[in-house]
Amino acid sequence: MFTNVLYFPFLMVSALIYWLLPKRGLRTGFLSLCSLAFIWHFDPKALYVVLALTLFTYGMALLMVRSQRQQLYHSIGLLGLLLVLIAFKYLGFLTETVNGLTSFVSSLPQFEIEKLFLPLGLSYIIFKYISYLTDIMWGIVKPGRFIDFLCYGSLFTTFVAGPIERFERLKPQLESPRDRFQVNHLEVAFFRIVIGLFKKLVIADWMGYFINPIWQHPSEYSAIIRVAALFGYSMQIYFDFSGYSDIAIGSSRLFGLTIMENFNNPYFAPNISQFWRRWHISLSDWIRDYLFFPLSQGRSSKLWLTLFVPVIAMGLCGLWHGAAWHYMIWGVWHGIGIAIYQYWNQYKRAHKKRMGWTKAKWANNLGILMTFVYVTIGWWWFR
Amino acid sequence: MEQKLIDFITEEFLSDDDDPITTQTKLISSGLIDSFSLVSLQTFIAKEFGKKIPAPKITAQSFDTVAQMMEIIDQF
Repeated sequence: MFTNVLYFPFLMVSALIYWLLPKRGLRTGFLSLCSLAFIWHFDPKALYVVLALTLFTYGMALLMVRSQRQQLYHSIGLLGLLLVLIAFKYLGFLTETVNGLTSFVSSLPQFEIEKLFLPLGLSYIIFKYISYLTDIMWGIVKPGRFIDFLCYGSLFTTFVAGPIERFERLKPQLESPRDRFQVNHLEVAFFRIVIGLFKKLVIADWMGYFINPIWQHPSEYSAIIRVAALFGYSMQIYFDFSGYSDIAIGSSRLFGLTIMENFNNPYFAPNISQFWRRWHISLSDWIRDYLFFPLSQGRSSKLWLTLFVPVIAMGLCGLWHGAAWHYMIWGVWHGIGIAIYQYWNQYKRAHKKRMGWTKAKWANNLGILMTFVYVTIGWWWFR
Repeated sequence: MEQKLIDFITEEFLSDDDDPITTQTKLISSGLIDSFSLVSLQTFIAKEFGKKIPAPKITAQSFDTVAQMMEIIDQF
């Protein structure tokens, strides 16, 4: 979307009108309208889905705070959101999987379900709305005004590829009555957008130019070239995605909004746990808060906490990226990596006297290298 | 309350040759506690102090020292 010829003229004009409007509420309303127009332009059907999801989620939020049955309405809200996600994104995949399993027995019926269209930005908005409802239940945030919530859900600068911002962070910015245009907004926005475009259009696309033919016809290349292509893809996907995030963060800044950072030199992480604190941070925070913690609470089994929770959480994280087994395998690969790291940590703690070498600089560098290689192998399934 | 937290962290996450921690010791950013250990810390706080701290509040930025933990616990 960001590389679409219309994106930047649309961004500039909408930001100009935004700052010319006298009141905060009017600005938020205008930004919401721009966002809805953006969604409609790229995917008209998605607009109806976004509006329906927004009304449903906001309604559930109001019921949660106004009734005594907060848990019930939270559950209904989550169930509704997940059903929408499953219906649009995973129904075809689930049907194919069931058919594949039952095909071994000829007497079992085969299901035929027509795949629904996948609305633009669905995975992102569903995760944002799940965090919204859950944060209300946890008492972290209040439902806020509908116009602010609509702006949060539909914000066109982050709608397609995140970051998965939390309402808790955006709400005070949207409510602030004294918000005025600052030259600093323009400077930060320009800097981040230029950096993002450079990462995406110059580095990532240029690398793709060399790498894509190798992936398309691997048998025509030697093993060394294929391995080089895998490492190349590792860099390509980083520059592509972090470039997108830079553009999203910079574009949001044009409206005075500070969106959370999504990348922090992930390939310099000394272990897989640190990697996930630096790669797609908004998603890994989401997984940690709404999957990892709830799955871990009230359980004392070391095996469950150390192995199963990371594997399940990361497997689902993989499926979130796309409705296909290879995404899930990629997630499980990372889950296993995290589990191994946790076992290693436990071992280190138990044998601390013999583990002094792990604090040495060379050990840290070895950790960076091993993590990079592990993550890069994982990209083989992802691609 | 502070001392109970320090005792729990010392017993659960530190070994004999680690320096004693204070309320200002950086625990997560220094690598003494990894993010996965935070679940058991959350469970301990819930059991011991009856305070259920939501996961989004337990981050390396806001939960790095015992003093910061106390601030968050007071909010709930």
